[in-house]
Amino acid sequence: MPPSEFPGNDPINIWQNQATEPFSASLDQLRHKAKQWQTRARLKTLFSIILGLALSSAFARIAITGRDVIPRLGATLLSLWSIYFAYQARRWLWPDRLEPHASASASLQFYRRELERRRDYDQHLWRRTGLTFCLVGLALMVVPGVIKALPTPRLLLNVVPFFVLLAAWFVAFFLIGKRQRAQLQHEIDKQGQLQREIDELRALETDRRP
Amino acid sequence: MSQDSLYKQAADTYGSSLDRLARAYELDPEARRDLLQEIHMHLWRSFAYFDGHCSLRTWVYRVAHNVATGYVIRQRRIRNRLVSVENIEAMAGCDPSELAATEAEALQRLSLLIQRLKPLDRQIIVSYLEGMDASSIADITGLSPANVAMKVHRIKNILRRWFGAGGPHAAE
Repeated sequence: MPPSEFPGNDPINIWQNQATEPFSASLDQLRHKAKQWQTRARLKTLFSIILGLALSSAFARIAITGRDVIPRLGATLLSLWSIYFAYQARRWLWPDRLEPHASASASLQFYRRELERRRDYDQHLWRRTGLTFCLVGLALMVVPGVIKALPTPRLLLNVVPFFVLLAAWFVAFFLIGKRQRAQLQHEIDKQGQLQREIDELRALETDRRP
Repeated sequence: MSQDSLYKQAADTYGSSLDRLARAYELDPEARRDLLQEIHMHLWRSFAYFDGHCSLRTWVYRVAHNVATGYVIRQRRIRNRLVSVENIEAMAGCDPSELAATEAEALQRLSLLIQRLKPLDRQIIVSYLEGMDASSIADITGLSPANVAMKVHRIKNILRRWFGAGGPHAAE
């Protein structure tokens, strides 16, 4: 485009002639930063997986060394559930890789898919994390002990903290889950606006075709 | 060519353009340095996958815009206030009526305009200001050249109103 198209202030010249700062980081610094970035992204998911596997080992140990049959069954169930939990975390939360050179429209679709995947996981958290098995396992482990303690109410006091913690966890689980879902939905709506712009442009082009 | 040498070539050739691109997404100097570092980091990582199917320039701009767009998407507070070129084009009486007195003032005015735009339009205007044609911009954004040409036409109209002689609506 000839500069004379903007006879007053030529924005192209102004833009290209602005003072810039040379980028000073070395290749080693970039490598280090890239490694940190990658590690951070993976640590989040690894945490869920490791937690699941650690719980599985702990419950498996109880299942092997325990004395009573029903609590041992409960521990076995919880051990299997922990593996399932780790698998689901890997399946639903481990981020896909976006091709770094993807075009704008492709990258927006990718972001949307990732957000929707997270939202779906959160929406069906009960089923996806197999919480029913977790609660049945816990009940099998705890209830026999509680029944045994019924004749001596003082012993029941020992399990009160456990039930208080369990109740607090349930409340937090639902409240935090609800907030996270709302945030994700908000994010998806905003991203949807960007995507609609691209779709509108494509629709306009289709309309113009003979 | 190795990942390192590709990155070096890209940084040498497009270093200034990347700095300007970061300015289009972030005005605060400190935050802009962080964004620029993030762009360079992702650029270096990306060259592990460079297959030569597109030009080095297209690759560099795609990666840089993707990183910067992600940066804008993460900024929830400002994102709701962004508008499209169509919105700005339709806003009568909002454009400056006089030419900027100095180049610094004109640059500030241009930055102000770019900062108001949504990411996709921002990609197009920045690429246009870098001197690219509709076909190159289409390669970067994934839109068709016809759509890009339509957007560029609107951008030119806005720029004429903001920077052309004769004050607002001079080109219309």
